[in-house]
Amino acid sequence: MIVARPDPVSIALRDPRALPGWTLAQWEALIRQARRANLISRLAVLLDEQGLLDDVPAAPRAHLEAARVVSQAQAEAVRREVAYIGKALARTGVDIVLLKGAAYLFAGLPAARGRVFSDVDILVPEAAIPEVEAALMLHGWATTHHDPYDQRYYRRWMHELPPMLHVTRQTVLDVHHAIVPTTARLKPDSAKLLAASRPVEGDSRLRILAPPDMVLHSAAHLFLNEDLTGGLRDIADLDSLLRHFGQDAGFWQALAARARELDLARPLYYALRYATRILDTPVPAQALQAAETDRPPAWLRRLMDGLFLRALRPAHVSAADRFTALARRALYVRAHWLRMPPLLLAYHLTIKAFRKEQESPS
Amino acid sequence: MSVSALRWHTVPRSDLIWRELDGDLVVRDARSGSTHLLEPLAGHVLRALSEAHAGMSIPDLVARLQDEAGADETSAWFSAIEAILSEFRRLGLAEPERP
Amino acid sequence: MIVADLPEKELARRLAGAGLRVRTGPVVTEIRSRMPKVAQGIALHYADHPLEEPGGFADFHVRLAPPRNIRRWLQPQVTFQFDGAPPFLPLPADQAFPILEWGLNWCVSAHCHQYLVLHAAVVERSGRALILPAPPGSGKSTLCAGLVSRGWRLLSDELALIDPLTAHIMPLPRPISLKNASIEVIRRFSPDAVLGPTVRDTLKGSVAHVKAPVDSVRRAAEPARPRWIVMPRYQAGAPANLERLPKGRAFMQLVDSAFNYNLHGRKGFETLAQVIDAADCYEFAYGDLEEAVKLYDRLATSA
Repeated sequence: MIVARPDPVSIALRDPRALPGWTLAQWEALIRQARRANLISRLAVLLDEQGLLDDVPAAPRAHLEAARVVSQAQAEAVRREVAYIGKALARTGVDIVLLKGAAYLFAGLPAARGRVFSDVDILVPEAAIPEVEAALMLHGWATTHHDPYDQRYYRRWMHELPPMLHVTRQTVLDVHHAIVPTTARLKPDSAKLLAASRPVEGDSRLRILAPPDMVLHSAAHLFLNEDLTGGLRDIADLDSLLRHFGQDAGFWQALAARARELDLARPLYYALRYATRILDTPVPAQALQAAETDRPPAWLRRLMDGLFLRALRPAHVSAADRFTALARRALYVRAHWLRMPPLLLAYHLTIKAFRKEQESPS
Repeated sequence: MSVSALRWHTVPRSDLIWRELDGDLVVRDARSGSTHLLEPLAGHVLRALSEAHAGMSIPDLVARLQDEAGADETSAWFSAIEAILSEFRRLGLAEPERP
Repeated sequence: MIVADLPEKELARRLAGAGLRVRTGPVVTEIRSRMPKVAQGIALHYADHPLEEPGGFADFHVRLAPPRNIRRWLQPQVTFQFDGAPPFLPLPADQAFPILEWGLNWCVSAHCHQYLVLHAAVVERSGRALILPAPPGSGKSTLCAGLVSRGWRLLSDELALIDPLTAHIMPLPRPISLKNASIEVIRRFSPDAVLGPTVRDTLKGSVAHVKAPVDSVRRAAEPARPRWIVMPRYQAGAPANLERLPKGRAFMQLVDSAFNYNLHGRKGFETLAQVIDAADCYEFAYGDLEEAVKLYDRLATSA
């Protein structure tokens, strides 16, 4: 039996209303861990929505404000980037389906508020990949990971193009044609996802996945990747999506049926299990029961609990590893989010000389 | 289509914020996220385009700005404004209407 | 309670254990280290700085420690750790104090986005701030140290923290870092200045720090209104020359010197516009520190 001492971040996300009463020491631990989990801005938004931001003590509140400034800037940058992407791919006539953060943003979902964005992810039909890649390159994107092994790794095994880097804006675009890597035993049918996708309000060129598919993609991303890159942030996304879509009576049944249809019932099981455990997501009993039919055997369940409940706590993720990912995605590293002024180049070159070079294939 | 006949538009007014400083114009374009420093004539061109309801051609701009400045040498203005618009296009600040 | 109130042994004990919580203006940093050079540097440069009470809030948690790699046995090294993780590569251990200072700058520039943060020195006279934005090598720090030793209050030698609401500058009084020739220049210019040891062979050459005057530290809660923006340029032999800088160009210089202008979006533009509105803007060439400081004093009194 796993006795998981809840971490301050999940406690805070479960009940933001209690936060103004926390001591400074508790706030300090919360800010540190939330920073590692990329969730400070989400906390800030939750508190703001409940009108509680002014009740937070000034010292921790400064961090909430700082994180909000960052996430707002990132959201603006994502909007800009999607506009550029749309323009680049307009002539191809290919339907571009936005995924993850960009999708939440353009769909106006609560999951986008206070979110930390980095790369933009899109889904296109497999047959369109060569044309899409060509159009992107024409408009200034270049492939990365030039090593032949890495290229194969992405194209054949991960079912996506290696991340594409825009040469002037330094933004990264991930072009997918499937939502799970080949290494997963499950094979959800991308054509079905594309068929069920719907246009974004106000822009016919951009599309987003249907609500159950959005949830299932999030679950698949979290639970089917080779390494547990998912973190509390991804569970928070799931929690937000489920709370929002769950308000619609027909959603839960549609979700269960779709999971089976797309061969994603196991990830859905995990998604519901951990979202309810960690963030107290309100999932109807019937939906939980329906998911139970796809649960793993007891020994595997216990093993997974040990892994996930640990991996999904900010404090337990190996500090260097987490920070590297954070450092890679964090705003201050991305030259495109911050216009790196020429006057600062010398200063930043000094920093870069110190900065750890981390290149990994995934 | 001749250069004179092209009509130019700038980004939506709500996407621009500017300040006149010692004759120059500093302007931030929310669409691109970039901030620019425009020398006086360029600043006037941007403001004229921004305030116009319809697109403006180079002759329109020349007439409008000469009015404001009370000046006269048309040809010099024409080529200056042409160069400015070309630069605006590069910066994403303005675009000609498709004919 | 200030750092100087702690006996040497107690200071070392706290640094080696639970950490020392030092306040620098609006920022409280918990510093941990077992390295003697760090303790010595803190005892000297942060003597007048307040210690945060237990039960308070620390904004950042840093540690200077040897890296966990094989090289630690070959050549003593130090890493700067932020919340348990080292964002930067290790460096020779004798550079521990400069690395602490440099790391503290990084903490602020990378995280304090509640402010618009400029790469600039800021000093104050009669409630009015003089902002000196400048790339490395422009002589900004030398000028800053010179002014501070002649009565100007130090707000910061590296980071101008601008409150977006008021466009006022928040103090961040910390040691002033000097490089190479500037070190000797300041020693001669200001014999009373308290300098730490010179550390050689860093990426920037030789580095030493000047202790922030106690007055600057005591008044760390007092913001200042921007009044002058001056782009300094050191040129050996050049006579001191102050020239008005058109405000449009000054505005762009501020944009270029900001760490996080783009993060603030529209508000960033408006904040800088407020700063520019309030300030006289100049370019400044100089070759002699004495002459430069006198010129600034005249500027301050004539305003």
